[in-house]
Amino acid sequence: MLEIKNLHARVEGKDILKGLDFSVGAGQVHAIMGPNGSGKSTLAHVLAGREGYEVTEGSVRFDGQDLLALPPEERACLGVFLGFQYPVEIPGVSNLTLLKAALNARRKRNGQPEIDPADFLAWVRDRAKLVKIDPKMLSRGVNEGFSGGEKKRNEILQMLVLEPRLMILDETDSGLDIDALKIVSDGINAMRSPQRATLLVTHYQRLLDYVQPDRVHVLARGHIVRSGGPELARELEARGYGWLEAA
Amino acid sequence: MSAAYQQAFERFSGTLDRGDRDRRQARFERFAGAGFPGPHEERWRYTDISGLAAREFALPAAADIDLGETLLAGCDHLVYVNGYLDRTRSTAAALHGVAAAEGPDDDGIAALNAAFDGGGLQLRLASGETLPRPLNVVAAIAAPSAPGMVHQRHRIELGENSQATVVFQFAGRGGERLATQRVEIRLAPGARLMLYRVEDEAAGGTLLSTIQASLARASTLRAVTVDCGGGLARHDFNIALDGAGAEAALAGLYRPQAGGHVDNHAQVVHAAPHCRSRMLFRGIVDARTRAVLNGRVVVQPGAQKTDSEQRIANLLLSPRAEVDAKPELEIYADDVKCAHGATVGRIDETALGYLRSRGIDAGQARALLLRAFAGEVLARIGLPALRAALNARLGFPAEEPIEP
Repeated sequence: MLEIKNLHARVEGKDILKGLDFSVGAGQVHAIMGPNGSGKSTLAHVLAGREGYEVTEGSVRFDGQDLLALPPEERACLGVFLGFQYPVEIPGVSNLTLLKAALNARRKRNGQPEIDPADFLAWVRDRAKLVKIDPKMLSRGVNEGFSGGEKKRNEILQMLVLEPRLMILDETDSGLDIDALKIVSDGINAMRSPQRATLLVTHYQRLLDYVQPDRVHVLARGHIVRSGGPELARELEARGYGWLEAA
Repeated sequence: MSAAYQQAFERFSGTLDRGDRDRRQARFERFAGAGFPGPHEERWRYTDISGLAAREFALPAAADIDLGETLLAGCDHLVYVNGYLDRTRSTAAALHGVAAAEGPDDDGIAALNAAFDGGGLQLRLASGETLPRPLNVVAAIAAPSAPGMVHQRHRIELGENSQATVVFQFAGRGGERLATQRVEIRLAPGARLMLYRVEDEAAGGTLLSTIQASLARASTLRAVTVDCGGGLARHDFNIALDGAGAEAALAGLYRPQAGGHVDNHAQVVHAAPHCRSRMLFRGIVDARTRAVLNGRVVVQPGAQKTDSEQRIANLLLSPRAEVDAKPELEIYADDVKCAHGATVGRIDETALGYLRSRGIDAGQARALLLRAFAGEVLARIGLPALRAALNARLGFPAEEPIEP
């Protein structure tokens, strides 16, 4: 589903990704782990198409399409979703407005009419229950005045509402207490299906106790230094990253 | 001064009775002597209208203008086309009238307006009276064949504890035009006025508007102004808080269209103690447009316990866009609370990127962010029909019902 080949990327003139190769098949969950500064978040943003991230070499294909040639909104409409490490606050644009505009953008692209307002609200209410977000909060500005945990839950809510096919979660687990981590993991697991792929970018093994990955890749200094099964995450938890970085 | 003004006045005054003619003659002479203000005057530094003197405007003939969706549903209407009362579209034609101008003229523009005043809204409410429906005053001008000018004067006098909502819409629709609109407002103790002023002057037109408001004890003026035209508009909004406990809240949004120039001068004079004033302006300015905002609060001696606040925020959409925004404060009393601030910023790229990452295209994402920026002003519009019309006119997405 996702094929990354020899991916090199640069941010503010600095080479961050120095040749990544891996593929994520439909139905799979891959974890990208690694120390701070290894390029994990850069990979997530490059895949989502954030401005300021320059791909200097390599290719990324999503269902055979050249993902890098598309602007971020088209990637999203194709089914790519990035859960932000630091979700943005947008006062004056309500969560409902964002969700509706995002849903209708997809529908428009697929030649469907706009969603019926009543159906929309019912769908959002249903999804909000899964992440324990009070629907009243959705009238407020996007993430406006939300706590750190609420922001992360709100990312998951957006994912549940939009039903992407490739979910990239950038340190969605960071800063969460155990209850919030459980809610977020349940949301991710609810989305797992043979038609979807997931990329979990995380520093800690903790999230992987709740969301079992099929593959784990360890990123260091812009390279994948090791790939393995779920047991690799546990090994990292026990030994840290030092032994891999030194390798 | 071009001879056209003199000719227009002679033609116009020939239709008047003797007393009226003499009064207006004096006004016209004052205009001829003072002329239009020039850019050497501090108040007109950023808006040069001195070129109007050489233009050759005449009073236009009656015309039929397609007002489209301009007239607001749920309101009574008073409709003027080229300065003429449109009786078929005016459900409130009884409120039309011409009142002799009072007092000295502030400047050449006021004298010009008084000399040619073709009449306008004359709203007087008795004590305790409430206007049952909002009143929508529409002044539309088109001068497709020859340069035309229209001058109108409106008066609103609210008796004690009376209440009204009035919406002024000034629209220019093509051709070379000059309009002066003057609104005089007097609020008796406890009266409450909700006032809207919307300007949509098309390219080729100049609108000079003045709103003078005098507020007695414990009266309240709430006003929302919106500028969304592509012509030249200059507005002077002067509010005098003359009685203790009076309150004025003025909110304005300006987003000139390509080629447009909008200059708002808003002034609140605290002349009595325990008064409260709020000014909130938001501007969205692109290249090839120009916006000027001057907010001024004057606290006169003895106006103790004044509570005033001015907030001005501007969004520049292009590196070449320019705005001149200045809050001013003059305080001659010592026990007052006065805050003011002005900012100029750009669209939040991080927010834009976030919206796009959710599938919303760049154009719509920008429109949503602009609507959010303007929202603080637009949210004060209590008439849904007006808010929806302005949203559309300003290129913002329609509002979502907010009931999760």
